[in-house]
Amino acid sequence: MNLSTLLIWFLRLLSTGLALYELVVGPLVNSVLADVSLPLLSDQVAGTKWFALIFAVTTWASSEKRFWALFFWYWPLVALWACVIAPGNNWWFPSEPLSRAGHQIDGLFYMILIIVAVTFIGTEFALGYALWKSAVRGKDDKVWFSHGSHRLEIVWTIVPAFILVFISMAQLDVVADIRVLNRFPDEVQSGPVAEVMARQFEWRIRYPKPGTELMTTPQPGDLYYVNELHIAATVPTMVNLRTQDVQHSFFVPRMRVKQDAVPGLIIPIWFDAEKAGEYELLCTELCGWGHYKMKARIIAETPQQVSEYLTGLQADQEEDGVADEE
Amino acid sequence: MNTQIRKSLNRYHMISKKDFATSGSIQQTAWLCLAMLATVGCSDFEASFSISENTRSLAAEAQNGTGESPGVIALTEEKFGNPQSLKAWTKLPVNWGGTSVSVAAVGSDGDAGTSGESAEVETADATETPESGDNKVTLQVPDESISLPNTVSSLLVSSGESAGQSVAVTSWDASTGEAILATKLVLSAGDQCTLDAGKGLQEGRVLYMRHCSHCHGTAGDGNGPTAQYLNPRPRDYRHGVFKFTSTNDMSRASRNDLTRVLRYGIPGTYMPSFLLMEDDELEAIVEYVRFLAMRGEFERKLVVELSSDYSKDAMVSRIEGGETRDEIVEELAEFLELDMPESVDYVGNDLQEIWTAAETEEARVIPTVARVPDTAESRRRGRELYLSKTLNCADCHGIDGAGNGPQTMAFEKNPITNEKYNEPGLHDVWDNLNQPRNLQAGIFRGGRRPIDIFCRVYSGIKGSRMPSFKNTPHEDIWHIVNYVLSLPFESDPGATGSLASSEVAGGAEAGD
Ligand SMILES: [Cu+2]
Repeated sequence: MNLSTLLIWFLRLLSTGLALYELVVGPLVNSVLADVSLPLLSDQVAGTKWFALIFAVTTWASSEKRFWALFFWYWPLVALWACVIAPGNNWWFPSEPLSRAGHQIDGLFYMILIIVAVTFIGTEFALGYALWKSAVRGKDDKVWFSHGSHRLEIVWTIVPAFILVFISMAQLDVVADIRVLNRFPDEVQSGPVAEVMARQFEWRIRYPKPGTELMTTPQPGDLYYVNELHIAATVPTMVNLRTQDVQHSFFVPRMRVKQDAVPGLIIPIWFDAEKAGEYELLCTELCGWGHYKMKARIIAETPQQVSEYLTGLQADQEEDGVADEE
Repeated sequence: MNTQIRKSLNRYHMISKKDFATSGSIQQTAWLCLAMLATVGCSDFEASFSISENTRSLAAEAQNGTGESPGVIALTEEKFGNPQSLKAWTKLPVNWGGTSVSVAAVGSDGDAGTSGESAEVETADATETPESGDNKVTLQVPDESISLPNTVSSLLVSSGESAGQSVAVTSWDASTGEAILATKLVLSAGDQCTLDAGKGLQEGRVLYMRHCSHCHGTAGDGNGPTAQYLNPRPRDYRHGVFKFTSTNDMSRASRNDLTRVLRYGIPGTYMPSFLLMEDDELEAIVEYVRFLAMRGEFERKLVVELSSDYSKDAMVSRIEGGETRDEIVEELAEFLELDMPESVDYVGNDLQEIWTAAETEEARVIPTVARVPDTAESRRRGRELYLSKTLNCADCHGIDGAGNGPQTMAFEKNPITNEKYNEPGLHDVWDNLNQPRNLQAGIFRGGRRPIDIFCRVYSGIKGSRMPSFKNTPHEDIWHIVNYVLSLPFESDPGATGSLASSEVAGGAEAGD
C-alpha cells in the first residue's frame, strides 16, 4: 500500500466520521437525550456538515487518480465559503472597526481579500483541471509534452502587475488620510491634545494645562498621568507620539491605529473613537523584557467629561495634603 | 611510516566498530531522554525564599541551628513558611484575607447548636452517620455589609474549643451559610471562624510571582532574573524600607504609599505603572509585599541578635582570642535554646508595632500650613533656603539643582564595613550608588504633587542619603517645594538673574 492510498483511506474515514457525527449521531443524541449536549462544529461554523458530506461522498465515489483531482477542486470551494462567512464570524478582526480610519483600513483589507480569493480559487481550479484531464485519460493514450506558452506567460505576468499597481494606488488615499499632516481632519488641525510618551514599560501621558496648547517641551501647569488617556468620543483627536528610550508602537486594535514611536521623533497621530467607552492601547513593538506589561487604556467620553477629568487631574496635581477648610 | 598509518587506521576501525556496537544503546538513550524531557516538563516548579547574605555571614550553626534549637533559617521558615506553603504569623498586621464569620448553629436545621451548647461535628462516614446534617454547620457574617463568598474550600476556627484548627469544607451554600465539614470538629454557636483564611495572601503571591518577582525576586530581595539589567536596581524589601512614603521619617511605608507606587509607577526607574490592575489585585499584591518586607526584616533582626558573637568573622576572632570552637557552639546552643524564643517574640512585637503605626494618622505627614502661593517671591525664598548653610541642599543637588553637588564627587565610606566605596558619590542602604536627583529634569520619582515634594523634604527619602528636614518650618518647606517645582522651567537655573526671569511665569502661575 503506498502513501497516496493510505492518505485516501485516512481522509475517507475522517470525512465520513465527521459527516456522520455532524449530520446523524450528534443531532440524534442531542434530541433524544435531554441532559446531553454534544458540541457540533456546524453550530460554530455554518455549513461544516455539508462540506464534510461532499468530501465523504467524493472520497468514496472516485478512483484514486480522480480523487486527487477532485481534492484540488474541493479546497477552492472551502476557501470561497470561508471568505464569505468570515466577516460575519469576526474571524479577521478583533472587533468591528470603531474609527474612521478603521472603516477605510478594513475596506482595503476586504478588497485585497477578494483579489486574493479570486486568484487562489482560479489557480486551484486550473490545477484541479490539469489533474482531472490526466486522470480521465485512457491507459494507452500518448503522453503529450508542452514546451510552454509565451503568450500565457506574458498574460500571467502583466495581469498580476496591474493588480499590484491597482492595490498600491487604491491604498494611497487611505495612507495619506492617516499619515499626512495636512490631510488630517479639520477637527485636529488645532493641534494635539496630549503627548503620549512611550517608555519601558508604560505609557506616560502629558496634557497641556487646560486652556493652553501642548508644547513639545514640558510647561508649568502641564498635567501628567500614566497608562490612561482620556479623549472625546466621536471627534477626531490628535496626540504627539514619542518615546523616551527604545522603539515602541502605539496600537489601538479596535480603532485600527498603529504607529511606531521612534526615538528622537515627535510623531503626530490622529484617531477617533466612534463609541464612548474603554479602548485597549498596546505596544506592538517588542521593546524589551517587559514588553507585555505595556498596556494602557484610552477612555472615550463626552467633551464635558474630558474637561471634568482634566479639572480633577489638575486639582490632584496641586494637592498639598492640607484639608481644605477655607 | 607504514606501521604508523596502520596503527592509526586500526585505531580508526576500533573506534568506528565501538561506535557501531553502541549505536543501539544511543537510540535507547535518546528515547529515555525524550521520556525524561516529557516528564520533567510536567513537574511542578518549586520556588524558595533565598537566604539573605546577612544570614550567610553567620556561623553555620547560627544559620542552621544546633541540636533541637532552630537557627535563623528554620525560625524564619517557621514564622513565614515558603512560597509553596506560606505561613500566617497572625501577630503581624497583615491582611491575610478570607471572610470572618461566626458559628450560628451546629447540626442539621439548627436544632442542635442554637442553644450555645457544644456539639460534635461528625466526619462524613457513610456507615456510621448516614445523615449529612451532623457535619453541617451554619455560619453567619458579623454584619450586613459583608457578604458570604460564593465558593469556600476551608474553615479556620479562631475561638472556642477547636481554636486554631483548620478543616476542609466539602459543600457550601452561600445563600444560607450552611457548610458541610470534612473532618470532626467540636464547634459551638458563637465560635469565631474564618472562611478561606489566608486567601488574600495566596492571591497576592500568585500575582506577585507573575508580575513582580522577575525583578524583585521571590523573597523580595530585589534580585530576580531581570534585575541585573536595571539601573536603578529594583527595591530589596528585606530592610522593610521603602523610599517614597507619605509617612514621617521614623515610620514604615503605609499601604497607601505602596498602592500609589504600584498604580502610578516610579518615573525615572524601571518600576512601571500597574494602573490597569483591579483594586483588589493591587490590595493583594501590597499585602504580599508587606509580608515579604516583614519576613526580610524579621530575618535581618534575628541576624543582628546573633552577629556580634556568632558571625563567621566573630568566630574567627574569638577563636584567635583563645576560645575553642566547641565552646562557642555550646554557648550558641544555649543562646538559641534559652534566649532566642524571647528574641523572636521581641522582634515580632516590634514588627507588629512599627507596621501598625505606619497606618495611623500620627505617622502621616500633614503640613500644618497650606502650600504657600507659588510666587516669584516664594521661589526666591526657596532658593535662599536651598542654598543656605543650615539646609545645604546644594551640597548634593548642586547650586543649579542639576544633581551635581560636591558630595557627588566625594568617596563615601560604607557605614557597615567602614571601607571606602570604589566609586565616588552617594550610596543608599542597599549599597547602590544613588546620586542626588537632577531637579531640572522634571522627573520626580515619588510624585510631582506639591505634597509629594513636601514629604520628600520633610521625611527625607528613606534608605537614601536624602535626610529628613522635619525641623524646618513648614512654610519654609513650601518655599523650597515651589522653588524645586520651578527648576525644570528655569531658562538659566542657578544664575542669580534667573529669579527675575521667573517672576513672569510666577505671576501667571499665581493667577489661577
Ligand atoms: Cu513597548
